[in-house]
Amino acid sequence: MVLTLSWTTFACGRPPAPEAQNPTRNVSPSVQAQLPDGQYPVQQVTYNDAGGEYSLFLLDTPPNIPSNFRTTDLRMARLTEAEVSASQPNYLKVEAGQASLHVAQDFQIQYVHNVTETQTNPQTGQPETVVVRQESNFWTPFAGALAGQAIGSLLFRPQYYVPPVYQPGGVLTGYGGYGSTYGQAVNRYQDRYQAPPAAVRNQQTLRTTGRLNAPSANRPATRPNSGTARDRSSGSGFGSNTLRQSDPSRPSRVNRGSGSFGTARRTRSRRR
Amino acid sequence: MTSWRDRLNRMGGRTRFVVCRLFVHLSGQEVAPLLGVLNQAGRQAIEADGDLSVLGEGLVQIAQSLLQYDAYWRSASNEGDVFWDEGEASDSVTELFTDSASRYLSEPDLTEPEPDPDEPLSLPVTQNLVVMLTVAYEGEVPALETDLADAKALETGLKAMINLHYQGTLRAIQVHFSPARLGDELTSDQLLLNFPELVPL
Repeated sequence: MVLTLSWTTFACGRPPAPEAQNPTRNVSPSVQAQLPDGQYPVQQVTYNDAGGEYSLFLLDTPPNIPSNFRTTDLRMARLTEAEVSASQPNYLKVEAGQASLHVAQDFQIQYVHNVTETQTNPQTGQPETVVVRQESNFWTPFAGALAGQAIGSLLFRPQYYVPPVYQPGGVLTGYGGYGSTYGQAVNRYQDRYQAPPAAVRNQQTLRTTGRLNAPSANRPATRPNSGTARDRSSGSGFGSNTLRQSDPSRPSRVNRGSGSFGTARRTRSRRR
Repeated sequence: MTSWRDRLNRMGGRTRFVVCRLFVHLSGQEVAPLLGVLNQAGRQAIEADGDLSVLGEGLVQIAQSLLQYDAYWRSASNEGDVFWDEGEASDSVTELFTDSASRYLSEPDLTEPEPDPDEPLSLPVTQNLVVMLTVAYEGEVPALETDLADAKALETGLKAMINLHYQGTLRAIQVHFSPARLGDELTSDQLLLNFPELVPL
C-alpha cells in the first residue's frame, strides 16, 4: 500500500515507465512498510547505541500490526508551538514509508548504552567487538542546550539526530549531530568530537583475511611457495563497513540494486 | 530506465548508496613495491581497529601508488550497483568481501618450512599483481559509475576514489590483493582462472 501511495505521490504526471510492470523490485519492503501511513501516538521510545536502533511503543496501531515498532531509520522533530497549545501528544508519523517522530521539548528517550571491548576471538584470531554490559539512561534530544542554538525552525522539521557522547549518571541533553541524512548527522558528530558516534563505532566491522597481522607477513617468503602449483595464489584483504546492516527479521537477499554498471556486471552473476 | 527510478527516489528524499568494486591488474617485476604499500595499509587498518578514516587514508595511498604505476596496468574490470536501501548496500559489501577473498588463498601456509638461515636469500618476483578495491559511498560519482576498462577512465576513476575520502562520503572500504607478499607469485594461469572478468587495457 505504501508502495502504491508513493507511486501516486511521486509519479503524478509522469509517463508510465517500464518499471511499472514489476513494481516489487522498486522499493524494498523496509521495516516501515509494515506500518501503514498515518499518525500514531507514541508511548515510549528506546534507543540502543549498539546499532542505533530505535524501538517505539505505539498506540492505536491497526489490529494486525504489533504495537512495538523498531527501526534504524528514524527522523525526529520537536512538536510545533501550535501542536503544543493544541495539546497534541507525541506521535510517530509515517509518510510514504518514511517515519518521523514528533515529540515535546522535554521528551525523554530511554537510552541503552552498550559498554564494548575489543577482544581477540581465540578461535579465529580476529579482533572483535564484544558487549561487556549494558547501561540505561535517558536522552532528551530537544531539551536545554538546544534552545540557545541558532537552528531555530530547523527543530520543527524532521531530521536525523545522533545522541551526544554518553555520560553515565546524568541525562543526555541535546544532540551530537543532526542532518537531513543520517550520514550528515554522523559527519557533524565526527567534526565535533573527532570520533564516530557509538552507534557507528559499534556497527563498524573490520574484516581481514590473509597474513596481514601474522609475524611472517613482514618477512618475505624465502622460497617459491607451493602456491604456484595450486589454482590460487596467496592474498590478503581488509575492509571496514559502516553501513547499517539490514533488518535481521527481513529475508536477506542481495538483489542487484536499482542500477548496475561496470564491465563485470554480466560475468559476475554467472560466476557464482 | 534507471534515471527514471533514480529521479523518483530522489524526490522521495532517499539516500543513494553506491557499492562498487574495481580490479586493477599490474604486470611487471617493477610493481613489487606496491605490495609494501598494500600491506602497510592493512596493518594500519588493523591497528586502528577498522576506523574508516584510517582506511580512507590507506585507500588514498593505494590509489596514488596505482596511479604512479600506470605504465604497468595490463587489465582492469569494475562493477557496481546503486541501492536506495542501506541494508541492501551493506549486504552487498559483505558479499563482495567474501567474493574477493575467495579469489586467493588467505590461510597461512602452515606446511611452509622454516627458512634455513644459511640458505642464500633468493626471491622470486611476481609477474602479476591484482588489487581489488571496493568502496561504498553516498551520492553519485559519474567517474566511477561507468565502464573503467580503459586507461583514461581508470585514471579518472582512481582519482574520484581519492576525492571520496576527502569528501567524507565513504561508508565502506575494502582492499584485497594477490599475491600477499614479496616472494609469493601470481601466475598467469591463476590470473585467468580466478579473475575471468579482467579486460585488457
